[in-house]
Amino acid sequence: MNKVTMILLCSLVTMAARIIPQFISSLDKLPRVIKKAMLLLPTAALGSLIFPLALTDFGASWYAGLGGVVIAFIAGLKRTSMIVAIILALIATMLLLLI
Amino acid sequence: MCKDDIKEGIKDGIPIFLGYFTTALAFGLLTRSSGFTFVEGVLTSLTNFAGSGQFLMMNLYNGGAFLLEIVLSVFFINARYIFMSASLNARLKNRKSIIGRFFAGAGTVDEAFAVASFKGEKLSYSYLLSLMGTSYSGWVSGTAIGYMVGNILPEIVQSAAVITIYAMFASLFGNEVSRSIKAIIVVGISAALNSIFILCFGISTGLSFIISMIVSVIAACFIYSDEEVFLNE
Repeated sequence: MNKVTMILLCSLVTMAARIIPQFISSLDKLPRVIKKAMLLLPTAALGSLIFPLALTDFGASWYAGLGGVVIAFIAGLKRTSMIVAIILALIATMLLLLI
Repeated sequence: MCKDDIKEGIKDGIPIFLGYFTTALAFGLLTRSSGFTFVEGVLTSLTNFAGSGQFLMMNLYNGGAFLLEIVLSVFFINARYIFMSASLNARLKNRKSIIGRFFAGAGTVDEAFAVASFKGEKLSYSYLLSLMGTSYSGWVSGTAIGYMVGNILPEIVQSAAVITIYAMFASLFGNEVSRSIKAIIVVGISAALNSIFILCFGISTGLSFIISMIVSVIAACFIYSDEEVFLNE
């Protein structure tokens, strides 16, 4: 797949979602349930974004991926900043890969 | 152009700059470990300016999804901007400038939207565009520096680096749970469906993601009350 095509098409749909409402103001009056679904989508997507790929990406060392995910989750639960969560997860995964 | 508004926009944008810069470091690192060139990695941030959308794109790209699946998924996850942008548009001081509206739309990201929404007054372009510009510069420069830093990291760190993307999602998940325990149920449904589709039925990563996301968002609409969702409005 051509990466540049992918990048630009993703940009096109993202920017369309942002720019078109500036010119068609009736979009502010979308049904409430549609708005609700749009606002909940990022949360709903999280599960599929993490599983199963966080485990399968590491093949036989799947537990290294799981360890990283659990550490980052706990850091997030404690409201640690994202970069700290990522660094902690990276360290955990590295250690588990060394075992 | 009003100098005070520009100053205030930049001032309000600095916390967003810091958050975006650090997240983009991870994104830059990820593009490098996914086989992107420096130009491709930075181009993604320059043209998309969308945290979760870009991480999603990389995730599906690495999973071998088809182009259409990737673009459709990115559209779904970024569809919330339709509502955010429309809501900001309604609060603009001057709704005539075409260029102003174009950039106010293009710069509508979650954090800038949240900050601007809590401003009591009508929004000027000077304020809005300097707020968004500050956020944008953090996102793009973070990506570039993250990519370059990747060069000097030892190999073991690079092979573990694939975890950064999942760590980002997992920390967002932790954040959501600390706000409402219901997030566990919604995220659980979506994780279970996606795992079953991919591991048991061998459905492609992209299609499986789209189906899991739609089913779990419908479930989420029932699980969350309106008050919880529209809290920030």
